[in-house]
Amino acid sequence: MRILIISALVFNLGFSAVVDDYLSSLKQEVLKENPKFTGFDAKRGEEIFTSKHIGKKGKEISCTSCHGIDLNKSSENFFTGKTIEPLSPKANPKRFTDVTEIEKWMKRNFNDVYNREGTALEKGDVTTYIINK
Amino acid sequence: MKYLIFLALIINSLFADSYSSGKTDVAPVNNQLYIKECGSCHFAYQAGLLPANAWNKMMANLENHFGDDASLSAENFQTLSKYLNDNSAEKNMQYKRSNRIVSSISAGQIPDSISTTPYMIKKHKDIRKNLITQPDVKGLFNCIACHKTADKGIYGDRDINIPNFGRWED
Repeated sequence: MRILIISALVFNLGFSAVVDDYLSSLKQEVLKENPKFTGFDAKRGEEIFTSKHIGKKGKEISCTSCHGIDLNKSSENFFTGKTIEPLSPKANPKRFTDVTEIEKWMKRNFNDVYNREGTALEKGDVTTYIINK
Repeated sequence: MKYLIFLALIINSLFADSYSSGKTDVAPVNNQLYIKECGSCHFAYQAGLLPANAWNKMMANLENHFGDDASLSAENFQTLSKYLNDNSAEKNMQYKRSNRIVSSISAGQIPDSISTTPYMIKKHKDIRKNLITQPDVKGLFNCIACHKTADKGIYGDRDINIPNFGRWED
């Protein structure tokens, strides 16, 4: 039992430390542009995640096209059918534990859906939305 | 005795086709980084399904990988390029499908994908188009949708099961 609690704590620290670091570095970036910026917003993040855009392939898609609406469930790649494990760290403890991975997918997936990279504000908002789902 | 051996050979050749299914057709993927990086969006195609020049052509354009951004870090790019080059089809000619794929490509041609190699086109030409484009399959790129043992490098007839159609006899 003690081991369980300790490992749960260690894991929890691992996840939140990585996300906290990621979000605070994004926040620094946003503050450079907008000194009055107060914080990221899950509501704005939801709009980023669920709204449809003409993506890189010229087809109208949103993040939900591949990740689904319920981020606690697995979904599948819209184009290839490959299973995608749940995006929410609550359902899938591997999510948001490695900043290199987070940055890789943010770059790729903003390009795929928005046909451009995300801004620091957008990345912070959408991360805030996902980790709270 | 000589007669017996001869007979055995004849019988063997009669069953050669059914024999070959269930046998490994291409060397299975044995690289965890490849499975993670390439296999997170699509079936992790065996390196022995394309010659090195085709892999290199594909890897040179990962920012626009069949319309998707599949860009990699410099380090992972190096590792995966080396893996694909070391295990490409022309270096695996002892495997039946690698051999057939390489042999089907005319000199000077560098295919853009596995499914556009002449061998793959020929092997799939008799399948109704709507069976390939149906939602359960999506396209020829989705090997494992019908080749149930594709992840083991086995592509024989015995292990084919086309969704909403069933087994396929070539």
